[in-house]
Amino acid sequence: MGREVSESCIDSLLTEMVSSYCNRFYANKPELAARRIEAIGYQVGHQLSERYTMERPRFSDHLEAIKFICKDFWSELFKKQIDNLKTNHRGTFVLQDNRFRWLARMSLDPTAEEGVPQDPAALAESKAAQAMSMYLYFPCGIIRGALSNLGIPCAVSADISNLPACSFVVRIKA
Amino acid sequence: MQFFGGSDISPSPPAPTAPGNNAHMIYVFNRNGVCLLYKEWNRPLHTLNAQQDHKLMFGLLFSLKSLTAKMDPTSAEKGNLGVPQLPGQGCSFHSFRTNTYKLSFMETPSGIKIILVTHPKTGDLRDFLKYIYNLYVEYVVKNPLYTPGTPVSCELFNTALDQYVRSIA
Repeated sequence: MGREVSESCIDSLLTEMVSSYCNRFYANKPELAARRIEAIGYQVGHQLSERYTMERPRFSDHLEAIKFICKDFWSELFKKQIDNLKTNHRGTFVLQDNRFRWLARMSLDPTAEEGVPQDPAALAESKAAQAMSMYLYFPCGIIRGALSNLGIPCAVSADISNLPACSFVVRIKA
Repeated sequence: MQFFGGSDISPSPPAPTAPGNNAHMIYVFNRNGVCLLYKEWNRPLHTLNAQQDHKLMFGLLFSLKSLTAKMDPTSAEKGNLGVPQLPGQGCSFHSFRTNTYKLSFMETPSGIKIILVTHPKTGDLRDFLKYIYNLYVEYVVKNPLYTPGTPVSCELFNTALDQYVRSIA
């Protein structure tokens, strides 16, 4: 498979996708926009996992499938592996990427936190955090789609409490 | 001519030309004259308020570019003096030096102008300005939270720029 696409092209496309859904199609309805973006990610993850597991045998258990996501799948998508995998052995996995590629260039506006401290600052910060979290629904959808194609229904959410590291929490439905 | 590199920031920025270069200020303007970034490291004398300072700088470079293009002895066609030119038309002016400072300038095809004022003994800074433009593209243009045409306030860009300019100063 020798065909490649420019990374800047993908970055711009994703930015525009989130921007269209949040500002034009579902303006003022961030939950609906988030659902649509996650659904797109689900389709993409579904198809990508089909392609990247072509040569492999079936996975023996959930942990093997999650390890595939952490190593091969993540390397195909982001040219690196997941840095840290934690589990509670009861169906919850936390995948941590210390420098998530799609968030690497995002930075917040520091001047939005000056002026009157406390409440307005917290508000501005949470608006910025909300804006950034919209960009995480797509990768969450990708992980959910990939796992469901491997026969593991789950729910995926993301956590950006310390940038540029990003954690994805996968909860397998029992 | 390969002007802009790949999508990653080029891993090895050019080495500093001489020890003891002091960067004084940097201005970044877009094609409409909006000052996207102004940062100073070492400016003992402030003569005007910030808005007038930016306008003066933009006007100065606009006129200088126009003048140098009209005086170019090698170019065949010359419009009238004062007619605005497209970025890249005419010869490209890149620096001037006085006994107290050197001003280096770079304009990109999209009209982004980068101006760096440094110590007069500084060498040719064109590669440094290209690297700064690369930083701008990576951290500002590709930042989904930035609205084009407004002053830049992205933390990543500011820290990277600060680090880089201090390393060449």
